[in-house]
Amino acid sequence: MAETWKITLRVYRQKENQESHFDDFQMDVNPDEYVLDAVERAWAFHDRSICFRHACHHSTCGACGMRVNGVEKLTCITSIRDVTHNGATLKVEPLRNFPVVSDLAVDMGSFYRKMEAVGARPVLPVTEAEIENPPSKWDPDDSQYLRLSDCLECGLCMSACPIMATTPEYLGPAPLAAAQDQGLRRKPELLSIVDCEDGVWRCHSAFECTAVCPSFVDPGRRIMNLRTQVVDIKLRKLFGKA
Amino acid sequence: MTKPHVIIIGAGFTGVATAHDLALRGCEVTVVERGDLCNGTSGRTHGLLHSGGRYAVKDKESAVECIDENMILRKIVPQVIEPNGGLFIALDESDLAYAEQFIESCQECHIPLEELKPSQALKLEPNINPNVLVAFTIPDGTFDPLRLALAFAGTAKHYGAKFHTFTEVESLLTDGAGNIKGIKALNRASGRSEEMRADVVVNATGAWAGHITAMAGLDAPVKPTPGIMVAYNQRFVQRAINRLNAPGDGDIVLPQRRMAVVGTTSFDAEDVDYIPVVDDQIKLMLERGSELIPAIRSAKPRGIFMAARPLVGGGSGRSIARTFKCYDHKETHNVDGLVTITGGKATTLRAMAEKTADVVCAKLTITTSCVTKETPLLSYRSYYTTPN
Amino acid sequence: MDQTRNQPSARKFLSWFIPVGRQAGGWAFALSRVTAIGLTFYLFLHLYVLRLLALGPGHYDEFLALTENPIIKFGEWAVVAAVFLHGFNGIRVVLTSFGIGVTRQKQLFYVFMIAAVLVILIFTARMY
Repeated sequence: MAETWKITLRVYRQKENQESHFDDFQMDVNPDEYVLDAVERAWAFHDRSICFRHACHHSTCGACGMRVNGVEKLTCITSIRDVTHNGATLKVEPLRNFPVVSDLAVDMGSFYRKMEAVGARPVLPVTEAEIENPPSKWDPDDSQYLRLSDCLECGLCMSACPIMATTPEYLGPAPLAAAQDQGLRRKPELLSIVDCEDGVWRCHSAFECTAVCPSFVDPGRRIMNLRTQVVDIKLRKLFGKA
Repeated sequence: MTKPHVIIIGAGFTGVATAHDLALRGCEVTVVERGDLCNGTSGRTHGLLHSGGRYAVKDKESAVECIDENMILRKIVPQVIEPNGGLFIALDESDLAYAEQFIESCQECHIPLEELKPSQALKLEPNINPNVLVAFTIPDGTFDPLRLALAFAGTAKHYGAKFHTFTEVESLLTDGAGNIKGIKALNRASGRSEEMRADVVVNATGAWAGHITAMAGLDAPVKPTPGIMVAYNQRFVQRAINRLNAPGDGDIVLPQRRMAVVGTTSFDAEDVDYIPVVDDQIKLMLERGSELIPAIRSAKPRGIFMAARPLVGGGSGRSIARTFKCYDHKETHNVDGLVTITGGKATTLRAMAEKTADVVCAKLTITTSCVTKETPLLSYRSYYTTPN
Repeated sequence: MDQTRNQPSARKFLSWFIPVGRQAGGWAFALSRVTAIGLTFYLFLHLYVLRLLALGPGHYDEFLALTENPIIKFGEWAVVAAVFLHGFNGIRVVLTSFGIGVTRQKQLFYVFMIAAVLVILIFTARMY
C-alpha cells in the first residue's frame, strides 16, 4: 500500500491583466510521486485553468522547471518527500527572470535566442561529453557514438543567477556553458560574443547555477574555464603567438 | 488568392508534423493546443527511433513504415537523435527460438541486421547480461521527445504556421448541415474565448481523439492504452537494447543523456488526463530491465511516469496493429470539414503527417506534392526564435 | 499580457541581499556585496575624518571624542570583520576564477568563512 500524505499545494496563479495570487489545493498524495505529479493532479481534478509546462517526465526535455518552496527544481524528478512533509505546504511558482505567460509557464524566448547565438550543440560525440565514473569500460572506439548533450535548456540556472535578476543583457550561465563546451580554440567566432561586459566577465561567482542545475552541466565551473580560455587567447595575441 | 486555412487541434508529434507538411504545401495553418507542445502522450514517449525489428515478425506493415521513416528522420533531423543503433539480445531458449523468424522477417522488411556472437555483443556493450546467447544489430536510435516536435514546429512556424498554446477547444463551429467550419477555443492564459474559422479542422489529439469527435457527435475508434516507463540514473549502454522475442512488457532499455530508460507495459484506461503510476509495474520494469542489464538493480530511478498510447481499431493491448489511421469524416459520417488522424508511433510522425496532408489537400484541391521527405528541418530552437 | 513582470531589471538589486533558498555560493555572493557596501561607506567616512584632521589640531579632540562613542567602536570592529569576510571570500573568488577548487567551491566557502571567523575572534579578543 502506498503511503499517503495530506499536503497543501500552493500554486502561483497569474492570468492576463490580473494581479497574481496563490491558490491552495488540499491534496492526498503519494510522497514518492513527483512535484509535477501533484501539479498535474491539481490541474486534472481540482482546477482545469492551471497552466503549466511538461513533456517528458524524465529530465530530458527541460520543460517542467519551477520554483518549489523558493528553490529552482526540475519538478518531474523532484519527489514530494524531498521537499515537504506530511501536513505541510508545497509552494510552486514559475521561474524567475522570465516574463510569466500564465501561472507556472514562462516565456524563455530570450534564453533560447542566446543559446542559438552561441550555437549550443544539442548532440555531440560521447568522447566530448564524458561521464565521470562510467558504469564500465565501454568500446574503445566510442568516438563514433553520439549522445544528447547534458544541458536541457531548462532555464533553472537563468532563474537562480543573481546577476540574471538585474541584467537582461547578460548571456547567462547556460549560454556561457554552451560556449565553453565548444571551446574558443575550435570556434574562435565565439570570442567576441563571450569576451564582453555582458559575457563571461559579468559572472560574480555565486555558483547558484551549478547548485540548481539538474543535469550535471556545472555552468559555474565552465564559466571559470571559459575565462581562462579567453585570457589564453588574448595573451597569445598580445605576444604575437596567435 | 488567399491560402486555405487549416486548424490543427493538438501539438503533439502528429499535430506539429502535419502543420509542417501543410505549411510547406501552401496552407495557412493554425495549431491550437490546450497545454504546451508534447504535454500529452508525445512528450512521454520512450524515445525509441524504431528500426522496425520489434514489429517485423507480427506486423510487417508497421515494420516497413518504421525502417523507412527511421532513415528519413536520421537525414532531416539529426539534431535530436542519438543514432547509435540497437541490439536484440537472446537470453534463453524461448528467445533463441524466435531468432530464425526474426532474421527472415527483418530481411523481408529490408531492415539491415547483423548477427553477433556473445563475445562480440559484450565487447560492444559490456553492461548487457553476460549470459547473452546471440545478438543482432539493427539501426535503432534514441530521440529527444520534445525537441523532435520543436524541430517540426519551428520549421512550420518559419513557413507561416501559427501556434496557440494554452488554448483549449470548447466546441466545433458548424454550418446548418452539421459540417465543421471552425472551432471555438478558450485561451487559458487570458480566460477569453475566441472563434476561428477554417476550411478544414484536423483532429490530431491522439489518445484524446474521441473528446474532439464527440463535439461533432461522432466517436473515434481510438483506445487509450497506457504504459509505464522507469528512467534510471545511469547510462549503462550506448545503444537501444531489446529482448529478442515477441513484444512484451519491459523488453526495451534505451540510453538517453545520462539515463537508461526501461519500458513498457500495456493496459486499458478510461481517463487519460491523469494516470497514476502503479507500483507493481515499477517492480516489473526493474525485473525485466535487469534481465537485459543486470546493473540496473543497483541503479536509482530518476523518473517514473505513465504515458497513454492511442491505439486504433478493435482488439486490446498488444494485439492491435501499431500503425496509424486517418479518417475523413465526410466519408465516415458525412460530416465535412473534419479529419481525424490517430494511432501510430513517434517514429512515423512524418508519414502520418504526409498521409493526413494528402487527405486535407485533396479536400482543398491543392495539388502541391509533399516535400517533407527531403527537407531538412531547421534548428529546434527556431520554434522560440521565430516570431508568431 | 503584462510582460514586464518577472523580467530581469536593475531594480531587482535588492534580491542580491536576500539569499532565500540560495545555497553556499549565493550566501557568499550576498555577504560579499553587503561587506563591500559597508567598506565603501567606511571609505567615505574615513576620508571625511581625514579631512577633519587636516583642518587643524583642534579637530583632533573632536575626533577622539567620536571614537569613544560605543557605536563607533562597534563600527570599527565591524569594519575589520568586514575586511576579513570580504577578503577571504575574495580569495575564494580569485581561486575559482583561475579554475582552482571550482568543483569544491562550497567547501572552499566554508573553510574560508571559518578561517575568517577565527581571525575575527582573535582580533576581537585583542581589541577588547
